[in-house]
Amino acid sequence: MLEHTLTVINPLGLHARAAAKLVRLASKYESSVAIQRLDNGVTADAKAILSLLYVAAGPGSVISLTAEGPDEDEAIAAIEQLFSSGFGEI
Amino acid sequence: MSNETRKIGGVVISHGQVATELVAAAEAVIGDVSHIAAVSIGWHDDVEMAKDEIARAISNVSSGDGVLLLTDMFGGTPTNIAAMFLKENEVEIVTGVNLPMVIKLASGSEGSTLREIAIMVEEQGKEAICQAGLLLAPQKLKKDA
Repeated sequence: MLEHTLTVINPLGLHARAAAKLVRLASKYESSVAIQRLDNGVTADAKAILSLLYVAAGPGSVISLTAEGPDEDEAIAAIEQLFSSGFGEI
Repeated sequence: MSNETRKIGGVVISHGQVATELVAAAEAVIGDVSHIAAVSIGWHDDVEMAKDEIARAISNVSSGDGVLLLTDMFGGTPTNIAAMFLKENEVEIVTGVNLPMVIKLASGSEGSTLREIAIMVEEQGKEAICQAGLLLAPQKLKKDA
């Protein structure tokens, strides 16, 4: 299992369309992918949009990203890129 | 997600334009909602016409594994007309449609039966109703502290 810590930097946070982008990206990988908000421990499956919305990760939230499976390296790298690009919104 | 997997079809049925806009919103969020149709019943529409429109919508979205009708309010005309189509394992209805229910149906039906999907969508709809202030409160407190 791989773990990486990320920060939500886009001004709208992990809102519905951003979460949908994360789901589309995470679903390309065989590995299971989860995110967890580090301040309150709320966790979500990164391939399930409605669970992601309940993480309520606003701008500035610090997130632990974990992936486990045969392509976990690629999954982490791609998702890290998505977060660092502010979901294409900045 | 493979497009070859057969999905349970869906028809959102409402008074006024609510159905059309709910499906449009779901599409804006998740993209492909081609297996979900909307039937907006006008306030003065004829019942027979509305029934025909629902029948057409059901046949358009059906892939043979069943169709879930999501209606706005139990007891209202859209639900009452939809009820004429109820048929075990073919057509089920869940009332009180909200956006998370449409998103759930649009994104999560692979490999599930119509009955299972109906239960999942009903539960999702209920779970999605919450006092946002209670969920967001810890965050606020932290900021104030």
